[in-house]
Amino acid sequence: MAYILTLFLIFLVLLMGKVGMGAQRWLVLGPIRMQPSEFMKMGLVLAMARFFTKVNPEKQLGFKDLIFPGIIVMVPAVMVIIQPDLGTGMLLLFIFCMMIFYKRLKWNTIATLGVIALFSGVLMYNFGLKEYQRKRIHTFIDPYEDAKGSGYNAIQSEIAIGSGRLFGKGFKNSSQASLNYLPENHTDFVFAIFNEEHGFFGSVFLIILYLVFFMRMIWLATSVQRFYDSVLVVGIMSIFFWHAFINMAMVSGLLPIVGIPLPLMSYGGSSMLTFGVGVGMATSISNSRNFFN
Amino acid sequence: MFGEEELVKIHKERATLLSYIITAAFGLVLSRLWYLQVYKGETLHNYSIQNRLRKEVVWAPRGLIYSRDDQLIVDNIPRFDAILTPQFLMEKEKTLTKLSKILSMDEASILQILKKNSNQAKYRPIIVKKNISFDELAQIETQNADLPGISVDTFISREYRDKDIGAHLLGYISEVSQTQLPKLRERDKMDYRLGDFIGQFGIEEQLDKYLRGENGHEFVEVDARGRRKRYINTDNLFKGIEAEKPLSGMNVKLTIDRDMQIAAFNALEGKVGGVIALDIDSGEVLTMVSRPSFDPSQFSRGLTPEYWRSLVTNKEHPLRDRNIQEHFSPGSTFKALTGIAAFEEGEIDENTEVFCTGKWYFGRRAYHCWKKEGHGATNLVKAIRESCNVYFQKAANRMSIDALAKYAKAFGLGARTGISLPREVSGLIPTSEWKKKRLGQEWQPGETLSCAIGQSYVLASTIQLATAYAAIANGGKIYRPFVVKDVFDTDGELVKTYTPELLSQVQLKNPKTLKFIREGLFQVVNSPKGTAWYRRGQGILMAGKTGTSQVRGASADKVHQKCELMDYESRHHGLFVGFAPADNPKIAAAVIVEHGCHGSSAATPVAEAVITQYMKKYHPDMYLQNLDKDKTIKDSWIKSLKSAAPKPSAPAGDE
Repeated sequence: MAYILTLFLIFLVLLMGKVGMGAQRWLVLGPIRMQPSEFMKMGLVLAMARFFTKVNPEKQLGFKDLIFPGIIVMVPAVMVIIQPDLGTGMLLLFIFCMMIFYKRLKWNTIATLGVIALFSGVLMYNFGLKEYQRKRIHTFIDPYEDAKGSGYNAIQSEIAIGSGRLFGKGFKNSSQASLNYLPENHTDFVFAIFNEEHGFFGSVFLIILYLVFFMRMIWLATSVQRFYDSVLVVGIMSIFFWHAFINMAMVSGLLPIVGIPLPLMSYGGSSMLTFGVGVGMATSISNSRNFFN
Repeated sequence: MFGEEELVKIHKERATLLSYIITAAFGLVLSRLWYLQVYKGETLHNYSIQNRLRKEVVWAPRGLIYSRDDQLIVDNIPRFDAILTPQFLMEKEKTLTKLSKILSMDEASILQILKKNSNQAKYRPIIVKKNISFDELAQIETQNADLPGISVDTFISREYRDKDIGAHLLGYISEVSQTQLPKLRERDKMDYRLGDFIGQFGIEEQLDKYLRGENGHEFVEVDARGRRKRYINTDNLFKGIEAEKPLSGMNVKLTIDRDMQIAAFNALEGKVGGVIALDIDSGEVLTMVSRPSFDPSQFSRGLTPEYWRSLVTNKEHPLRDRNIQEHFSPGSTFKALTGIAAFEEGEIDENTEVFCTGKWYFGRRAYHCWKKEGHGATNLVKAIRESCNVYFQKAANRMSIDALAKYAKAFGLGARTGISLPREVSGLIPTSEWKKKRLGQEWQPGETLSCAIGQSYVLASTIQLATAYAAIANGGKIYRPFVVKDVFDTDGELVKTYTPELLSQVQLKNPKTLKFIREGLFQVVNSPKGTAWYRRGQGILMAGKTGTSQVRGASADKVHQKCELMDYESRHHGLFVGFAPADNPKIAAAVIVEHGCHGSSAATPVAEAVITQYMKKYHPDMYLQNLDKDKTIKDSWIKSLKSAAPKPSAPAGDE
């Protein structure tokens, strides 16, 4: 149900959404501005959990088994990418991948899919991407090529991280943020500022916290009684993981810059809601496990 | 069928794999962070500091320029502009009303300035009023709190004390332009930047390397939009980053005399032309003034398009220097050299007489004397005194052009004097070889006759003429004219001193040559029949030669047309070259007045004014003695007037 609803909302966005930052992502309902693609992540996870529990839950996944789940993910993913919000669209696919991996996707299927993904990736780069998206990839490969333009964020972000060195400049002492060198420093680039202020040791600490969080969820997924809960927790964990990983990787220059927030760190309406809902559901599952015991 | 718990269990393997994948992914991120923060940490940390620091240039004060008698000519003066930063402008109405009162501008004009600059970023200051007074400055500073967004910008302005006077000599400084940048970098091997000020003309250009000093720098903290945050001082973060004080430029002392400059400038009032005066025993340039002129101060800070347009559209070309960057037909002033050549070659002596009837024929062409009725029997001294064309043409007719050129060149004509100022022209003394090479034609004897009286191909600048006449006065020593005496550093230590440079000594076989030439030049001014008698001045005992440079070749019927009746553009240039005092020469001067018609009326008074100023200032005793000598000359003239019944006709013209 949730899946259908969000799908409808995304459809609405495509029809009448507000344009923000060059993309059509926002839906305005009276005083509420929302980004339905954000909720799609949760919707997708719920729908997949349901589907995998209902249809042959014990079976290893092969190509044929991927057809219907594939449709479930591709419809919203394509719609989000059209908006265009490549980051979120890809995120949906990544979450999907992690979930089918958990649902015991056959190894040879994984290999075949890997090859297909590689080819379609090349094709997509050449024909499917918008100019600004392609530019981001160029910038990623060599940010200094256009240091004042498209490479600016990437460079300033690296400078922020690097200048933190081992111990950081101290809380609220970030010069990159306070002097506005790094835009979006409280949202997408919050990790860079965290690194600048707290240094390498600070980020080791933060990453350990994330790892503990993810391990706890994986452990939860293996210790629940209901398979639905297990898949759901893995899905929720996927959402968090991909956000965290992609954000950290892009901020530190491992991946091109895309607008993906860092869960539980970045400031931001819709995504904060998603993460809240995610943590809430996981906690609730954890509680219910105890309850049935 | 599996039970629910079984189902969860069979997926445990994948869950474990997932935990490995996740750990590996974060391991990747961590290693990247290690690379950035530890391996490249120092570098990136420096970047982040550089990011926030803007190196701001602290301009080196440019060297000062003094005259030979230690009067300050070019100074640096702090100036203040009232500026407005729109970003900080609050209570616009009230603030502007207040500001308009302080600056005594009406509000509408301030609003118009704001509107003109409204498309630039709001944090960039706009100049509301340039060059405000100390009073206005004080008011703005004290009422700071009531004037949000208004502040005062201080800068050092290059001030030329005498404004237009001698602007061509002093030159100006202005910002290096985009197009100049690569050329100048190549020329000076210096890393000039846009916005650097550099001497672009005259002394400022020639002595730029001494005057410019070395810019220092300081660091200010700025944000990503370049807004200034605060000055860096002792903040720990910025340890080791230090400002560098600028090194003042060196001071320069010129050979120029300021009072003579002023006298020369005033004497040229309403005229288009130039005057140059040399110390005959050293080649020091005492005066060098060209008019119309321009105000070099205008260039040093934001030349307004209006001023620039007024300069370049002016038909009289105020930017052009008349002394070294222009050459003219020297006209009759060249006759002294023709005389020297003929005398040295033995073609004439002091007693050689030519009968001038006003014109004569060479081949089929008639050569006119400026005096229609002719000069009658004429010897060398008379020929110089009364500027007889026929005499010199006939004398030249006995020589080849090459012989004539030999002497003219020996006296420094036809080649750059090599004065250390940019863009000197070379003038021209033609030879038969030159004509063949340049025009591919044989030299025509008739052309020699035109050259003999300083027309035809002959071209000379005032600085060359002054040098030549200085040599006539000092016995043939050709000095290289120079304008800079000394260069001092800021502590007053002498860095470089320029000494007179004797280029050559003209070897004259006949000791009588210069004697009679000088006698002729003396009589030009001091004989009632001389062409410059009426402009001779008092107390200077000047010797010299007037000249007229034909702008357009005059056809036969117009030879004797009155110059003042012609169009301005067709009028002759008036010249005068001379030295003083005649019996003990100290100074040589050359004057050109474009379209001034006559050397005597247009140019001579200028030389007289300059030389008089010089004599009064540097040789007051001699000046007084010469006043007596003048009196004697005048007395004898009056006596002769009384004894001779028919009054001699006034020598109005000259040629």
